[in-house]
Amino acid sequence: MSPMTGAMAAPRDSRPAIPRLLGLLPGIALLAALGFLGKLTEQSIARYGKAHHTALPNIEYVLWAIIFGLLVSNTIGVPAIFRAGVSTYEFWLKTGIVLLGVRFLLGDILKLGGVSLAFVAIELAVSIALMTALGRWLRLSPKLTSLLAIGSSICGVSAIIAAKGAIEADDEDASYAIAAILALGAFSLFAFPAIGHALGLSDHAFGLWVGLAVDNTAEATAAGALYSDAAAKFAVLAKTARNATIGFVVLGYAIYWARKSNRQGIENKAAFLWQKFPKFVLGFLLISLLATLGAFSKPQIADLANLSRWAFLLTFAGVGLQTNIRELRKQGLRPLAVGAIGEFVIAGVTLALILAASRWL
Amino acid sequence: MADQRKLTLDWWSVIAALAAAALVRFNILPHIPW
Repeated sequence: MSPMTGAMAAPRDSRPAIPRLLGLLPGIALLAALGFLGKLTEQSIARYGKAHHTALPNIEYVLWAIIFGLLVSNTIGVPAIFRAGVSTYEFWLKTGIVLLGVRFLLGDILKLGGVSLAFVAIELAVSIALMTALGRWLRLSPKLTSLLAIGSSICGVSAIIAAKGAIEADDEDASYAIAAILALGAFSLFAFPAIGHALGLSDHAFGLWVGLAVDNTAEATAAGALYSDAAAKFAVLAKTARNATIGFVVLGYAIYWARKSNRQGIENKAAFLWQKFPKFVLGFLLISLLATLGAFSKPQIADLANLSRWAFLLTFAGVGLQTNIRELRKQGLRPLAVGAIGEFVIAGVTLALILAASRWL
Repeated sequence: MADQRKLTLDWWSVIAALAAAALVRFNILPHIPW
């Protein structure tokens, strides 16, 4: 558990295994109830939008689960009987991340073609460098900066979820980063198609642009689809190629943060690094590799991806329950400013690249 | 101590996820809806 959230830490339980496990049930039931409420809210809004033919921003269940958890813990508080179960959220997070590996096929990277792949690499490098510089300039906490950099370079919410565990970021930082990425995603849903039409971009060029510059997969797909079916296909392909790099980028950040905590000059650095290294990242890479090698059928991949969503549903209700609103308010609007400036520049850079290379696309 | 707890949690989550993947792979777990 992160130090900032110590306010409701569960006391150490010295009872035997079975009563201890039973003691977790009320809290897990609370996580499930709040998370499920988040899922229902997302679906109800989407249904309303469809029925009334309006494009409403897709606010994912993870953010609703955080909001509902936040409301409970910062108003009525979490009664003692629930606390042990609520603190299992980290287990659900890591299990969900390992299962999420099934959605990231390493082979997807190759389907995109040479020029577009080079753009994905450039986008990753520019986003990470830019967000890190902006975060330092506006003096964000280093871990929040890392989360925003990962979120903007790869794939919004999933990447932030994966990175939160890997670099042991605070719940407040993860909540903020997810909210910022989703707010910007909602904005891009309206802005990108308008700009694409104004510039008369081809389906391929627009799809590639959206796939490179919009961070959340749902919003990237939707923005592509608002332009044309063909654009949606290119958007999904470019976005999937970015998504497939998640393991490597999170791995890089995990190693960076594990190394950073080694300040006193420990003798056996490799052993120390291995000790600090988040082992579930290896589980993620293993499942991703198995899926790439064709170990699972398409329906099985969908089932495992759904299972990871259920795990995240429990996780983020827990993150909300552990998030202290006073800590969140201390961050102010600076993280949102970093996200907005960063996204704006990334959208500009990728658009310039695509316009310059449009004859080869 | 905290590191040890985290380590155990990491491995448990990998074991749980791999077990779930195996159950789905060999059709022991039924279809999981969302």
